Amino acid sequence: MTLLLLMEDDLASERHCLECDGRTLAELLVASTAWLEQHTTEINLLNVYPVPDGDTGTNMCLTMQAATAEVAKCSDLSAAGVAHAASHGALMGARGNSGVILSQILRGFARSLDKQATFNAVDLARALREASATAYKGVIKPVEGTMLTVIRESAEAAIVAAGGTDDLRDVLERVLPAARESVERTPSLLPVLRQAGVVDAGGQGLYRIMEGVVRCLHGETLEAPREAAAIAALTPPEQGYGYDVQYVIQGNDLDLETIRARIAEMGESALVVGDRHNVKVHVHVSDPGEALSYGARQGALSQITVEDMQEQYRQFLAAQALAAESLWSGGRPSDTSTVVVASGEGLVKVFESLGASAVVPGGQTMNPSTQEILQAIERVNGSRVIVLPNNANIVLAAQQAVGLSKKQVVVVSTKTVPQGIAALLALNAGADLDINCQAMTRAANAVQTAEITTAVRAALVNGLNIQNGSYIGLVNGELAATGQDVLQVIREALKKMEAQEKELITVYHGNGVEPLQAQQMADLIRECYPGQAVELVQGGQPHYDYIISAE
Amino acid sequence: MEEESPKGRIEVSPAAIAAVASRTVVECYGVVGMSAKTLTAGLAEILQQESHRRGVEVRLAGDQIVIDLYVVIEYGTRISEVAHNIMRNVKFALERSLGTPVVQVNVNVQGLRVSNVD
Repeated sequence: MTLLLLMEDDLASERHCLECDGRTLAELLVASTAWLEQHTTEINLLNVYPVPDGDTGTNMCLTMQAATAEVAKCSDLSAAGVAHAASHGALMGARGNSGVILSQILRGFARSLDKQATFNAVDLARALREASATAYKGVIKPVEGTMLTVIRESAEAAIVAAGGTDDLRDVLERVLPAARESVERTPSLLPVLRQAGVVDAGGQGLYRIMEGVVRCLHGETLEAPREAAAIAALTPPEQGYGYDVQYVIQGNDLDLETIRARIAEMGESALVVGDRHNVKVHVHVSDPGEALSYGARQGALSQITVEDMQEQYRQFLAAQALAAESLWSGGRPSDTSTVVVASGEGLVKVFESLGASAVVPGGQTMNPSTQEILQAIERVNGSRVIVLPNNANIVLAAQQAVGLSKKQVVVVSTKTVPQGIAALLALNAGADLDINCQAMTRAANAVQTAEITTAVRAALVNGLNIQNGSYIGLVNGELAATGQDVLQVIREALKKMEAQEKELITVYHGNGVEPLQAQQMADLIRECYPGQAVELVQGGQPHYDYIISAE
Repeated sequence: MEEESPKGRIEVSPAAIAAVASRTVVECYGVVGMSAKTLTAGLAEILQQESHRRGVEVRLAGDQIVIDLYVVIEYGTRISEVAHNIMRNVKFALERSLGTPVVQVNVNVQGLRVSNVD
């Protein structure tokens, strides 16, 4: 879209280009449209805002194609004439939110050129600034982290660049990285992008257009992809998030028209085809029961499928996340994913910050089902998955999930949260599963864990007489200490863990402990173990007041 | 909008629905103002920020939601496309937050604003 310039002689020239005329502007528009078309699918996959319908790339392409079609018909070959033609074409052919914004950007650009036959670096910067200003005026509340941000920051970069050079290509080469950085910042400005793990689709489209311009200036010939499939939008999830219902009715003398009319009333995307004996029905509805009962009254039903479109939508998002990751991670996506079981806000954060691909909520007294673990395994990217159950009672459920998944899955039988953390730290995403499994098991076994909680009933265990309501300390799952004083219990537990021999003691305090209280506890532990580093982490876990590791 | 469940009743007032709708509309590209329905198109007065929701009417037909929007659009944009974008954006935002289908979003373009003179 935007730019355009020209070298004095031919496009492949490495000489300075100080002025751009209309003919060159037209060539650049065509080339950037072709480059955009090559990236349609990439852009479609990023689309989550304002509606995640996966059509941003397609819409931007169609809008740019309308702009270049108008340019092709244009007889005024001044730079301004071409820019106005592009602006008019984009206005008439604008598709979707991104297309309307694009048309305003082209409009501001054209207006700035006014009637100029050619434009130079300063004109270009000014035109981009006008493009940005025009785009911002078209909405009550401009949303940052979108195309608007990208055009504004690109224009700012152009103004700075034009102050230092009069070469149009130099200016554009400085604008391009600024545009890319701007796109990369969009998730930090727009939370919905951050949640989906993508950059803004429209912003990415704008970046591709500018990139096409720069590539054309370097003499590259850019062509639109031949296969029309590249332009097809992803089938977007329906906005109703209901059910996708399909079935075949078999009967005598079925009335196709009546069935079609009735089905169409029930929901969206109704498709009813067939003859008097067989009718195929497809419809998106919020209540599948109604559509099925109606069908059953007409004849015998077969080939019934009812799919949850919410689930289809999740799969769509997963595909999107995958595309985003391969695009923006700056490298290959990690081949090995990890699914961990944890509960407590702080612990979940710890695991996520260490790179866990998915966290299944669960822990002591709230064991996740095999199904929940399986779903997490299927949801994460990559064909190799390591599961960290982090609780002795969950190991079995995790192992059952292994056999149910088509992916290559192993369970590293971590029995406590600190073991899980140590194991995750030992993960080498590039190594194969067996090697990782061994390394992670070794790391997990090197950690001593104490779990401090309160007894819910009186008991005599391991020779310890436990009273209801008193504190108990488990070391590596075995009851090791009990008493009315939590500090005393922790001290005994630490002694059993041979903390004196270790280097690092980490205290994760649970949701039943005030931060101040936890801080005091950490200080008391420091006094007892002056030779060890003592770290305090807000785990927020239920049930256990403290989980303590020594390693 | 009401929903009965064994644990109690959920009622979402039209004003709350209108608030969600108006927040979405003001972020729709091409919308430069909202205007109260009572004003005729020629006199359409652009509402101040706080009163945007006067440009939103929520009607409930049974448990179905119908939204009427009264907007002012930027001159020089493709009005039909902007209107379609508004419909899609508002329907999506409401259904996501309410979990109930929105059967209609009617967009009434009350006026155009010329903020860019070509």
